[in-house]
Amino acid sequence: MEKSSKSKKRLNTAKELPLIIAEYYQECHEAKKEGRPVGWMPPMNGGIELFYAMGLQPVFPENWSPVCAAFGLTHKNFEVCEGMGYSRDLCGYLRNIIGYVHGMMGGPDNPLGGLPEPDIILPPQGGCSPVMKIFQALMRRFPQARTFYADMPQVAIENIRDHHMNYAVFEMKRLVNFLEEVTGRKLDYDRLKEVVRLSDKACELWDEIMSYRRFIPTPISASEIGIMFVMVTRQGTQTAVDYLTRVRDELKERAEQKVGILENEKVRLFWDNIPLWYNMGLFNYFEKMGGVVVAETYSAAWSLRLDADNPMETLARKTLTSYPLVSCVSIKKRKEMVLKACREYAIDGAILHRNKSCVPITLGQMDIKRELEEMDIPALIIDADHMDDRNFSTAQFQTRADAFMEMLLSRKGYSL
Amino acid sequence: MISDLARPFDEIVRNMDQELQTLASEGKRLIGYFCTYTPVELIHASGFIPVRILGDAGTVEKAYTLTPDFICPYLRKAVEKGLNGSYKCLDGLVQGYTCDAACGVANIWEANMGADPFHILPLPYVDQDESRSFLRSGLEDLAEILKRAGGDFSQERLADSLDIYGRIRTLMSELYEIRYEHRLPLSAEDFLTIVQAGFITAPERYLSMLHDLIDALPETCDPGEGVPILVSGSLIEETKVLRIIEESGGRVVADDLCTGMRNFVPAYGHGSDPMDQLIDRFMNRFPCPSRSSAEYRLPRLLDLMKHSKACAMVFVFQKYCTPHLSDYPFLNDALKDKGIPSIMVELDETGIMEGQLKTRLESFFEMIGW
Repeated sequence: MEKSSKSKKRLNTAKELPLIIAEYYQECHEAKKEGRPVGWMPPMNGGIELFYAMGLQPVFPENWSPVCAAFGLTHKNFEVCEGMGYSRDLCGYLRNIIGYVHGMMGGPDNPLGGLPEPDIILPPQGGCSPVMKIFQALMRRFPQARTFYADMPQVAIENIRDHHMNYAVFEMKRLVNFLEEVTGRKLDYDRLKEVVRLSDKACELWDEIMSYRRFIPTPISASEIGIMFVMVTRQGTQTAVDYLTRVRDELKERAEQKVGILENEKVRLFWDNIPLWYNMGLFNYFEKMGGVVVAETYSAAWSLRLDADNPMETLARKTLTSYPLVSCVSIKKRKEMVLKACREYAIDGAILHRNKSCVPITLGQMDIKRELEEMDIPALIIDADHMDDRNFSTAQFQTRADAFMEMLLSRKGYSL
Repeated sequence: MISDLARPFDEIVRNMDQELQTLASEGKRLIGYFCTYTPVELIHASGFIPVRILGDAGTVEKAYTLTPDFICPYLRKAVEKGLNGSYKCLDGLVQGYTCDAACGVANIWEANMGADPFHILPLPYVDQDESRSFLRSGLEDLAEILKRAGGDFSQERLADSLDIYGRIRTLMSELYEIRYEHRLPLSAEDFLTIVQAGFITAPERYLSMLHDLIDALPETCDPGEGVPILVSGSLIEETKVLRIIEESGGRVVADDLCTGMRNFVPAYGHGSDPMDQLIDRFMNRFPCPSRSSAEYRLPRLLDLMKHSKACAMVFVFQKYCTPHLSDYPFLNDALKDKGIPSIMVELDETGIMEGQLKTRLESFFEMIGW
């Protein structure tokens, strides 16, 4: 297995994805040309719906990192960033995007045309520390951009109280005022309701798509997780709803016909933490042995429902809950989610990616592992990094994965 | 070597387990915390003794089973020490959300070592009226949680706690002022030991020890030798690194550490009631990079250098510390532009490679040629 390899796509709709991605980045460049303000922001927050409702263009630097990984550009970006004095111990998203904006951005070899420069920057306060620091660095790089410091409580979902919600709503309203002031565009609340309705529809479809992974054999695996792109960049648009509808329809048909991802599905796996964006082919490795990843932690970030009748409140809640849902703000809650998924998706074994680029998701994994084992679900830890392949050892992965799969297959009565 | 002046503080630090056990046997209830952004005054006002959970010298063995090796050594060692039973006297754990690692480790602590009450307090990043109201609600929430755990909070009690901690911070600030004038007869190692003792013992006792220390200070003091430096970083536990810095030709005259000045400035907050004063102090703290940007910190660090007549900066970071490592390139470039020499030292869990560090530092101080 190569360090960089691509996953095998079986769904026809997954094969449409490159076009969807290209169209999104084209739209970003058109916005810049047309003078439609471009705003850079972190994903998983209500800013995306506000932007689409106001006809502004949202751009997600974090999402650009997997694109760079897919195009094999991360090494160049890391080199620039580390040359500036940033430590190799810092998150790969941070090193990639800082390297990109100080290096190849605007140059001739940018895939998909690269990123258009921001007119607005929305630094997050309330996500993880590296994202906060990424945006501080971006503000330094693009001093002409107007910036808005949002403040979002970092609170465990089970501890959310009225004052957290009130403050989050206040901050959303402050953001609206800021956007209206710097863009001269007025937010139309009816239009916002429509955008939120579309966003909610996308979430509903997302959940429906994920629920097909409960089928045995599963008609969709983690290899197709790239469809998440529309949840990151297109929430609140008809494009996302149309695409996800097509994905859902294809899955429905495959499920009805009992067409699985694998001809002979033997072992069902759970993946904890972000995948290796530069090596999605890792999933092929399990699939060759009859193992298919049918659930993961990361996809839960979009399993929210939104209330279109109360757009500001619902967007505030979305912003407040998305990060804690997948991080270590409450390990108790995340553990509950993982264990529930393992029960619902009939998981035989879990792969816990100990991710050097993501402390918030990695912390607590050992506690999760212990509880999985109490449920008689063996768990494998692999040491890697979602962005930096220098922190991934293919041989070590293969040794561990082989032993793990052999054990799981043997437990299920398959002869080796 | 610890001086006679710092010896009583060193006794407490070296006998931490015993110190905590004594407090517990006196009927005191102890609440642990990791970051100094935790509202210790409120914990104290509720009838508990806040204890900063420290790590330990040495390597991590048991904590490998609970934490990855790419979080800061401080937190890993703290878990190690917890697993070794040093903190069995703690009742609960309260943590202000500062960095992801501290938040995650607090959760791990609760799951594996138990903590009741357990609370992570969200903290605002911006200062506006609504942020202050939000923080007030969070603090009231915490007071309620502590009340359910047998605490007894009132505004009057908070006023008393603010007074005690304010007096401690004022005395520490006096020591800092003497240090800025280069006439403090304490090594950096002594100084850190004095600060650390304050994390472990009851504030009433610590206040009295600080009074004794200040009374015992000589009228005059030899300014000593060495390049006057500012040490900036996260948290230093092992006093040895400061000793090496001073043995290699530096003299620490100021710091930007959370085991140092960041914990003491300002001494008090202003406001119409004790809760407002607590909030105001939080909002005006000398900023930690986990709560602010490098641009915000730079002018404050430069002021500190000017005030203390430090002529070089030594960055001392815990390995893997995202907030500090992310601010470092900007700060380093800015210092370079101003002609201020700087060097960066990382602490890993095995401590420091003494010989190598000493050689680097000696070359650095020689290069400055002060």
